[in-house]
Amino acid sequence: MIGFILADLRRLWAGSLVFVLLVALATALGVAVTLQERALRLGSARAADKFDLVIGAPGSETQLVLSSIFLQPSPLPLMEGTVLARLLADPRVASAAPVGFGDSFGGYAVVGTSTGLVGELEQLAEGRVFATLGEAVAGAAVDLALGYAVKPTHGLAELGGHAHTELAYRIVGRLKPTGTAWDRAILVPMQAVWALHGMAAAEHDDADGHDDHPHDETASGAGGDHPHIDADAALDEDWSKATPGLPAILVKPKSIADAYKLRQDYRSNTTLAVFPGEVLTNLYATLGDAKRVLVGVTTGAQVLVAAAILLVTILHVGQRRRQIGALRAFGAPRTAVFVIVWSELFALIAAGVLSGFALGFGAAKFIAGYLSGESGVAMPVMFAAGDGFLVFAILAFAGCLAMLPAVLAYRQSPAAALRA
Amino acid sequence: MLGLQLAGIDVSFPGLAAPALAIDSLSVTAGSRVALTGASGSGKSTLISILTGLERAGQGRILWDGVDICALSEGARDRWRGANIGLVLQDFHLFPGLSALENVLLPARLSGAMTRDVGARAEHLLQRVGLARSTQMIETMSRGEMQRVAIARALLRKPGVVIADEPTASLDSDAGDAVGDLLLELSTESGCTLIVATHELALSRRMDRRIRLAAGRIVEDGVIEERAA
Repeated sequence: MIGFILADLRRLWAGSLVFVLLVALATALGVAVTLQERALRLGSARAADKFDLVIGAPGSETQLVLSSIFLQPSPLPLMEGTVLARLLADPRVASAAPVGFGDSFGGYAVVGTSTGLVGELEQLAEGRVFATLGEAVAGAAVDLALGYAVKPTHGLAELGGHAHTELAYRIVGRLKPTGTAWDRAILVPMQAVWALHGMAAAEHDDADGHDDHPHDETASGAGGDHPHIDADAALDEDWSKATPGLPAILVKPKSIADAYKLRQDYRSNTTLAVFPGEVLTNLYATLGDAKRVLVGVTTGAQVLVAAAILLVTILHVGQRRRQIGALRAFGAPRTAVFVIVWSELFALIAAGVLSGFALGFGAAKFIAGYLSGESGVAMPVMFAAGDGFLVFAILAFAGCLAMLPAVLAYRQSPAAALRA
Repeated sequence: MLGLQLAGIDVSFPGLAAPALAIDSLSVTAGSRVALTGASGSGKSTLISILTGLERAGQGRILWDGVDICALSEGARDRWRGANIGLVLQDFHLFPGLSALENVLLPARLSGAMTRDVGARAEHLLQRVGLARSTQMIETMSRGEMQRVAIARALLRKPGVVIADEPTASLDSDAGDAVGDLLLELSTESGCTLIVATHELALSRRMDRRIRLAAGRIVEDGVIEERAA
């Protein structure tokens, strides 16, 4: 029987191939959408995993997370620098590190922070942590060699940012991959960022003047406003003295209870504290509708394909009624006819579904790879345990679908073989 | 070798006033060779359909050696037909993509009747009908060769009766003659009853008995003189 089925499929190879391709594409569409959505969710959740609590100035929670965790270039309001000193003195805090954004270099974010955070993020793959104002540590995905001199651009170069000429950072170390957006960041001393933006601690008497981003006044001319910055000056990480404005502080609490207490304490008129995971969950809840629409469209496409293959199969069985009749006229039992039609169809659909899963996986991998390259956030494309059930469900559905033509063939009169 | 008893057969199709087939009584002795003749639409194919159990007769009894196939279920009739009837049809109904041998064996395989002996017999039968290469793919064969493969297939399970529906109609005269020869020779060799529907005079004259149908009724039934002489 298997020989007959194979001979039949071989004879109709072109049609079978198109059939399999159709099923494969429909399946791949659904698989790719599911996997990609999952990769996006898992990837961003993992990227946020390294950051327990983020504290910033009052404003948008989402924007605070997008800027500090995913390093999305967007100006954040500043909070008072004293918050950092207060956090560092807090017994519930294991570590706290300032982060300052706004500069970039060749598409990489230049992020001001402390040596402590560099240690928190990941071990160094090579080199060492920055020790002077003019040194920098590159993320794993930053394609710049050690020793390379980075002249940061204020804002994004493609959005009309201007170059900071006062200081060039020299890359002295490289982080191991973290799978987060920080892989595409160049980490520099927070103090250097302050200095570049004219916010050195000494000048910082009028805190009010720094509510806006201090560099909005750049038009008045470069150089003149900015004091010379000594790239070789040693870092002073005593944050209790230096208190210019900060866009965000990444905090590692000592315990979960401490995390909740800290979040409560720092939700006030002057600061905003968020759990990135929670903000992301809210974001997904909002995007969930979009996912449902996408899944709906995909399902619609799959139903269309299912209807089309059913139509083709029924027509095909009709065209071959003489042949099917002949099988029985020569003594093949009805069940054999049923099994032949059913298994041919099921084999084709199963081949399509399985290659569709492979195809969808490949497509999701490709898209995830592309997106990871853009954002630095690693996107894990993988099958979950539930997908096995999905394959089973699809195959079961295919099995039922294949029943219909098989029943038609089963019920056909063998006398059809005699009629011309 | 099977003998046939027909009684009170009446086959009608909805929308047609006259019955497609109406035979009060007909008997065929086991081992005899019968030609069914008659114009198109005279009921030959309908008779073959009900004789082989491909279609159920509306009324009457069809007894093959005492077995009333009208009383059998659909599945039982398929099994009975597979075991007792060798069928040769005008259009061969061979399956492309399979070799001659595979085609001969296909019905036996599908009905689970495959044994080592059956395999050996298939090879032997293909030799006997003059096809030396049993592995030749069916679509590369001439029409005459195809019908010879079909004859080998019909005889594979040693049926008690071979029924052929216009076996030579789609062949040229030489190939048709060869097929006619084979049907007669092989049915004699294996001692089975042979019923051939044909409107080729040359073939029907070589049979023992000729039954002519018209409008679903037997209008002539007789031993063929030339043959008997």
